Amino acid sequence: MIDIRALSARLGDFELRDVTFDVPASAYGVVIGPAGSGKTTLLEAIAGVVTVRSGEVHLGNRNVTTSAPDERGVGLVYQHGYLFPHLSVLDNLRYGARDAAVVEELVARFEIASLRERDVRSLSGGERQLVSLARALARRPAVLLLDEPFAALDPRRRGKTRREVRALHREWGFTALQVTHDFTEAGLLGDVAVLLDAGKVLQFGPPEQVFRRPKSPYIAEFLGAENVFAGTARVLADAAPDWLEEPRLGGDPASLAHGYHAIEFTSGPLTLYTVGSAGDGPCYAVIRSEEVTLSLTPQSTSARNEFQGRVTEVGTLGAFARVTVDVDGVPLVAAVTTRSVQEMGLREGAVVWAGFKAFAVHLC
Amino acid sequence: MASESTTSSGPRLKHGVLTVLAALGGSLLLLFLAAPVAELIITGGVEGLARLGTDAELRQALTLTVLTATTATLIGVACGTPVAYLLSRRAFRGRALVSAILDLPLLIPHPVAGIALLLVFGRQSAVGSTLLELGLRVVGSPVGIVCAMLFVSAPLYISGAREAFARVDPRYEAVARTLGDDAWRSFRRVTLPLSRRGMVAASVVMWARAVSEFGAIVILAYNPKVASILSVDRLTTFGLDEALPVAGVMAVLALIPLTVLRALRHDRSVTVLP
Repeated sequence: MIDIRALSARLGDFELRDVTFDVPASAYGVVIGPAGSGKTTLLEAIAGVVTVRSGEVHLGNRNVTTSAPDERGVGLVYQHGYLFPHLSVLDNLRYGARDAAVVEELVARFEIASLRERDVRSLSGGERQLVSLARALARRPAVLLLDEPFAALDPRRRGKTRREVRALHREWGFTALQVTHDFTEAGLLGDVAVLLDAGKVLQFGPPEQVFRRPKSPYIAEFLGAENVFAGTARVLADAAPDWLEEPRLGGDPASLAHGYHAIEFTSGPLTLYTVGSAGDGPCYAVIRSEEVTLSLTPQSTSARNEFQGRVTEVGTLGAFARVTVDVDGVPLVAAVTTRSVQEMGLREGAVVWAGFKAFAVHLC
Repeated sequence: MASESTTSSGPRLKHGVLTVLAALGGSLLLLFLAAPVAELIITGGVEGLARLGTDAELRQALTLTVLTATTATLIGVACGTPVAYLLSRRAFRGRALVSAILDLPLLIPHPVAGIALLLVFGRQSAVGSTLLELGLRVVGSPVGIVCAMLFVSAPLYISGAREAFARVDPRYEAVARTLGDDAWRSFRRVTLPLSRRGMVAASVVMWARAVSEFGAIVILAYNPKVASILSVDRLTTFGLDEALPVAGVMAVLALIPLTVLRALRHDRSVTVLP
């Protein structure tokens, strides 16, 4: 378990301020945030190599705030590897290893047998990352701290290594905390996501919740939400529409028991319907582009927020496309498959219906 | 076309003249630095080396110089390394003051340094008299020579070692600590090997400076004579002809650290990279 309580630490001019979050035992946490947000400093403070000014660091069930790094049972993998250049690859792997068998197992699992006798200085960035990962794991740490450990790997090797680390995490049961810029990676790996900015935790929780329920429009936009609208919410408590009670149409009756209610949100010419706990007043509506569906004819369901518009841009990226639809002057972005774009014949000027479920609208 | 050619030839001519002037200035300076030493080695060095077999005083002075300089260097390395490491790694209250104190011996004239040391270690001083009671004579002894050498050359070692440590990214140590090393072990296994070249270079510079010291030693310990004192002593007593072999041998001696430093520069066994 990693339990960080009101942690403040300073490194040069940079400061972590009042950082609080926890990653349960044997869970995989991911830290996301813009460059310079303090992600690496956070890992270093947990590892004990950056002095904590206030707050507490608990690893397992121990308060290790004042413990030396070698007494914390942590492994630390930097983005650049920091392999010791005066040692061979094999000596790097053996540096803190519990035993030779573990080293051999990791060499096999990360497929780095051919690197064993190589001079560290001759390794590529990706090879260094693999050796660095294996070196940290060879110690069998209770907590593994990873600072963008796959960033220099090619896509094929990245996926393979990611799966291997996740498999080791399951088999060995260590708690992991990984810094990443890759939202897909965060979603794939993380049981807990921590969003850090300017040395502060903006939000933490399950990745699904952080991505779908951002606490602010800034977080939403940072996490790649393209449809963020400023507007005004109005609670429809006395006039809850039928769809709120109907799961088939996007509603969730169970949510009502948690104090949720139907809400009408107005942003310029757009009026959206959603469900949540927000009250009346100005706020932002966030709709992730992958929640927006496109059709050539209206879908006959009251559960959907549906608008007719005209396609203004179609940008394709491999198997997926990003289609921008102008709805009365408001751009609404939908992420659809390239195949759908072809089948629907979507191109600039095409008239389409853009829709999304009430539960896809998040107010913050 | 003609006017374009004239316009572009102006800056080219200016550039050419500046290049020639720079080359001339640099060559003259190199000549100024190398010629006296070369002349000294040619005229005095050969004879000095030949005299080593017959001139017992010269032999003793050189032996004393090497021994005292080596002792001063060993003390400087042993006591200066922690200071250099601290200055390169930690931000602490008074760091600027410590740095200033370390720069002081480099800035004050060396005879003045000798006088300052005499004030502390002279027979009339509390420290000097206490040491004398304990049987340790500083003034006019090899201990005094080591003190004078240490005073003037240790700051050079600390400065060089500090730079050597600063070139080693602290994250290497951080990784070593998370791999189970305590602070001492990570220093020994990681920091020291990675800063080895810079530290050796710094200690060679310190040794060379100690060997060449005259101003502080002449005040604190004229006798027994180290080579630099002997060369001046023979110059004032017997003239240039007698001083030349001593000075020539010292110039040859100076080639040793120069060779070591050049060898270190070509040593690529340790390259610090992430």
